[in-house]
Amino acid sequence: MKQNSQSRSPGARRPLRVAIVGCGKIADGHVDEIRKMPEQAQVVAVCDREGLMAEQLATRFAVPAHYDDFAHMLEQERPDVVHVTTPPQSHAALALQALAAGCHVYVEKPFALDGAQAAQIVAAAESQRRKITVGYSSLFDPPILRLREMVAEGLLGEPLHVESFYGYNLDGPFGKALLADPGHWVHGLPGKLFHNIIDHMLNKIVDFVPDDVPQVTALASALRPERSGDERDTMMDELRVLVRGQRVTGYGTFSSHIRPAAQFVRVYGTRNIAHVDLLARTVTLESSPKLPSAIGRLVPPFEQASALVGQGLSNLGRFLRSDFQYFAGLRNLMSLFFDSIVNDGPAPISHRDILRISWMMDEIFRQVRAQSPAAEGIA
Amino acid sequence: MTALVTGATGFLGGAVVARLLAHGTEPIRCLVRASSRAARLERLAESHAELSLVHGSLASPEAALAAIGDADLVYHLAAGTGGAAADLFLNTVVASKNLLEALLRRPQPPKVVLVSSFGVYGTAGLARGALVDEDTALEAHPERRDLYSQAKLRQEKLFREYRDRHGFPLTVVRPGVIYGPGGTPISSRVGLNLAGLFLHLGGRNLLPLTYVDNCAEALVVAGARGGTDGQVYNVVDDDLPTCADYLRRYQREVRALRAIRLPYPVSQALSWLCERYYEHSQGQLPAFFTPYRTAASWGGNRFSNAKLKSLGWQPIVSTDEGLRRTFAALAS
Repeated sequence: MKQNSQSRSPGARRPLRVAIVGCGKIADGHVDEIRKMPEQAQVVAVCDREGLMAEQLATRFAVPAHYDDFAHMLEQERPDVVHVTTPPQSHAALALQALAAGCHVYVEKPFALDGAQAAQIVAAAESQRRKITVGYSSLFDPPILRLREMVAEGLLGEPLHVESFYGYNLDGPFGKALLADPGHWVHGLPGKLFHNIIDHMLNKIVDFVPDDVPQVTALASALRPERSGDERDTMMDELRVLVRGQRVTGYGTFSSHIRPAAQFVRVYGTRNIAHVDLLARTVTLESSPKLPSAIGRLVPPFEQASALVGQGLSNLGRFLRSDFQYFAGLRNLMSLFFDSIVNDGPAPISHRDILRISWMMDEIFRQVRAQSPAAEGIA
Repeated sequence: MTALVTGATGFLGGAVVARLLAHGTEPIRCLVRASSRAARLERLAESHAELSLVHGSLASPEAALAAIGDADLVYHLAAGTGGAAADLFLNTVVASKNLLEALLRRPQPPKVVLVSSFGVYGTAGLARGALVDEDTALEAHPERRDLYSQAKLRQEKLFREYRDRHGFPLTVVRPGVIYGPGGTPISSRVGLNLAGLFLHLGGRNLLPLTYVDNCAEALVVAGARGGTDGQVYNVVDDDLPTCADYLRRYQREVRALRAIRLPYPVSQALSWLCERYYEHSQGQLPAFFTPYRTAASWGGNRFSNAKLKSLGWQPIVSTDEGLRRTFAALAS
């Protein structure tokens, strides 16, 4: 019988056997990135309740086995790790099933439908002594890793405020699909469109706001003019979130209409401000003028230009070294997760942070629901 | 005879509806998704009592069954045309499975005319200039082809699996490059636009064109004729131009392009480099070109419409006239 635990000595360690459940778009990224770390892990099987979807993924990536029954896959393949890449409605059930089968579990974001489900998964992982993580891959993108280093080095001083901006394009393939279909799974989520996206915005705030239960204020609206006369009309597309902790505050923007659809984080410290452009993958510091008077106002643009040129050259170097990958964060996160399994070390994302973000999302969606067109009797 | 057209709001779908009307087929039902732009069909339905629109989808067998109703003949054109792999398979293959499951719930399953593609042929392994006809082997390595061809190949195989198992009447039509006013201006078989520079890759290869109305006529003929069950028909017009002819005429009648001609050996060499870089860089840039795909797309073949003509099909628009209409529409 195949074993699903890493019990051999490090020298004889075999790659982790990974199985993927849910063969939609993001599953491609998981399989492709795992293929690039053959010493750490290998995808042994993929599963989708629509067998044709499992088959196409297996065919395109030469995965040895595919299934349309999750329990059957767990029984046959005995994977060490299961990646749950289904729509969020099934995350909790599948994660719990995989944990019960003794697997470590990577759950794509959003982790669960609500905080209660998240707590259930965390509790099961702790009682089964299995590792779990959530697909907050952007937290492991090189610019965010650099930001963390800068904070640890004290370059910013004490962070007092963080701003996280996430621009989204509803004209993209995913946006078009969910706007076209009132039955799309996004419309069934408690937080609808926000639920599927805003982890990326919130996780960067939570990184700097250490409070268990900060004060959260959410403002939401729907700015797109189209109305369908059905469930879709209750979907909000603009969100502003203010997070107030004991010492640190955070401000999050999710926008479907602001162009360009930028993605950035600004961390305001007592010494400097850091600006991380997640799309251009640059990290720059804004400092107080070092020179007096008009000279002091003249120099900063050149300093900023110089910093951006340096970042551009650094990115060019990465590109030439084939180290400028789209899924760099996903790969880093998966690699750290696999390491934590093999070495029985801490998982890359703490259970506390998973639960704090889940709680925060619940709170935001509670406030958003009260502001939705449905609540006002429009839909 | 009630005909159902899936994908009726598409480029070919609209022409199929027009040809069905011209042939006096009635009633005609068009399956239209909520998201589709159906204004043109709606206007047409206002003036043709025999034409109706059914709002639905192939997202589930139940939805598909509701759409099929009592149709005797199904023209299945609906398919994904772009997006991620998962979307393409979902909209092409899974949607087809739902349609098939729904068909089988009928006591007497209707006849299906499936629109497939030249992309299903295993042309990469053929010698340059080899004839592609209905007996040409299907692609043996779908994973090495573009996603659209992979999805269409799986779709066609799925229909064959169901037919073998359940025995409903099936006719497969494989069009070449469908063109006409409102269609794609320049097929990728001619070349690709790369940041304002047109890479002319097709050279003197024959371009397997079929004018949209001719292709629609082929579908209608294949649906109406007896003895087509289990048969495959390629659709290309007569008097096919070369890719170079097409491009020259496009430049003269529509607009000038900054084009660079890449001879086939050069395309192959660049494709080899592209694939090596993709492997070396672990996919930092996508493998736009691979030698296999280049051979499949730009290797150069001959084509036959003899089998289709044996059904009585004839192009209703000549290639010269089709090109004139297409380029006039593009120029305006």
